[in-house]
Amino acid sequence: MERAERDKERYKTPQKVRLGAGAGYWGGELEAAIKLAKEGAVDYLCFDQLAELTMSLLERQRLKNPEHGYIPDIVTHVEQLLPVMRETGVKVITNGGGTNCAAAMDKALAIAGRQGYGDLTVGAISGDNVTAKLDELTRQGWKFTNLDTGEDDLGAIRDSIVSAHAYIGADGIVEALRQDADLVIAGRVSDNALYVGPLMHEFGWSFEPPYVDRIGAAIALGHVVECAELVCGGMSNLWRISPEPWNIGYPIAEVSADGSAIVTKLPGTGGIVNEWTVKEHLVYEVHDPSRYVMPDGIADLTALRIEDLGKDRVRISGGRGLPRPDTFKVQIGYRDGFAAEAIYLIGCPNVIEKAAKAEEIYRGLLARSRIVPLDLRFDRIGVDAISGGVFDDPPESQVRECGFRIALRTRTREEAMIARAHFLRVTLYGPVGLGWGAPAAVRPVISLWPTLIPRDAVDISVAVRKASA
Amino acid sequence: MTTHSVPLHRIAITRSGDKGDIANIGVIAFSADLYLLLKERLTPARVKQYFKSMVRGDIVIHPMDNIGALQIVMSQALDGGATRTLRFDQTGKSMSVLIQSLEIPFGDNEMALVPPRPPFELAE
Repeated sequence: MERAERDKERYKTPQKVRLGAGAGYWGGELEAAIKLAKEGAVDYLCFDQLAELTMSLLERQRLKNPEHGYIPDIVTHVEQLLPVMRETGVKVITNGGGTNCAAAMDKALAIAGRQGYGDLTVGAISGDNVTAKLDELTRQGWKFTNLDTGEDDLGAIRDSIVSAHAYIGADGIVEALRQDADLVIAGRVSDNALYVGPLMHEFGWSFEPPYVDRIGAAIALGHVVECAELVCGGMSNLWRISPEPWNIGYPIAEVSADGSAIVTKLPGTGGIVNEWTVKEHLVYEVHDPSRYVMPDGIADLTALRIEDLGKDRVRISGGRGLPRPDTFKVQIGYRDGFAAEAIYLIGCPNVIEKAAKAEEIYRGLLARSRIVPLDLRFDRIGVDAISGGVFDDPPESQVRECGFRIALRTRTREEAMIARAHFLRVTLYGPVGLGWGAPAAVRPVISLWPTLIPRDAVDISVAVRKASA
Repeated sequence: MTTHSVPLHRIAITRSGDKGDIANIGVIAFSADLYLLLKERLTPARVKQYFKSMVRGDIVIHPMDNIGALQIVMSQALDGGATRTLRFDQTGKSMSVLIQSLEIPFGDNEMALVPPRPPFELAE
């Protein structure tokens, strides 16, 4: 079908919209996404590539080089996706613009130019970076209370702040699509806004009361598919029965105008979609499920009906919601010391006793250097590294070997460097053990201060450009 | 009445994750009967006791009657959150696995509710 003809088709309010998950994290496999675009008849591919820490990492890169700050993978993604977009008409929405959507847009347009795709239209969204607004709002009396700890003195960390980004909603995505963007590059939009946006655009929903339940349904649906393979038997309790996990397919959501949807995946791909995989992901990283608060609305996940239709098809219906909140969640990243860690291998006999001795020696070394770490942790991998204290130690006779891990966080880089140099001495001054490669370099730690900002203090704007222009 | 101890993995599946320093674990029961039983016996106090070495804050449990699941939300659970914690498991993903060894008390007459295998494996 010619592009113009295809576009004409699009202007009718569709019966169903097919959304594909292109990525659920930074580093997802592009092949699975391309397969969805080519064989899945999807109208949109949505890429979620941001985790809680990512914005601070990207902002640091941008401050070093104003051309950086987006997820670097976006370049190869665009190179490989453009031919498929051209062939199938699939539109792509990504939050991989990170802290520099404008630079990512320039890159994408340049690639389109090189590929002779002059009519590619790209939208870039900005406004989520609220770092410059913190002081002004504080002066006006707004309290940036830490949602985790209840602390409300942002002044205590003010000088250490690296970045502050609001989790904005689908508004910018809807506007970019309205202006015919084929590729929408966003930064810190909520993960599910990547899915809410195209549904609002295609079905003509707004944030007005008649659409609140449908947006609630869309948020829930976005939540179910936004981590890609995690609803298809990835990281799953169903690992025993998930076929060919090495060929795992990414999910497709076939959404109706009432907000109900079928979640499925491509035939012939690995993994599994059934009521259990959908429920598994429905509960993922949710707090109060009756009030799943997102920038586009408050979804009631307890209202949903999940029906297993068999053959990797699950129907989700009954979505409900409340109007969007007056505030956005903000994640403030601030410098909070330096971390170092090392791992040794300890063999039997007396593994537990040797580990205790190694801990004693390391504590002695720190004391000798007058280093008082902010945090200090010892793990015996194979005994308690992930279960830290939940189970009693097994008897020595049952422990063949363990990895002995030391990790610490200090106020200054110098302290962390000295502490790192001491790692080697744990075996050299103590029981026979085996260092496991060189300890990783000292790394700066960024802590997060989750808080809220008034919605009307955030100015979301959209730039749309054509490759040929 | 004799009391039995049934580890959680015999009656439910779990998935966990993080937001800041809050970890959550979704617990999805294998049947409606098991859900009602878990709703009564998987209490915040029991979970707090189990994770006392890892979780410093409050624990709240939200029911999801629609899918037979409980949402366990644990504050100050990750030693400062994924970006700062020194834990190996920075995002609390393995807390879902850990809780599967938590023993739930069952009466004699309730043991028949425990399936021989998870329902999705039986269906194969």
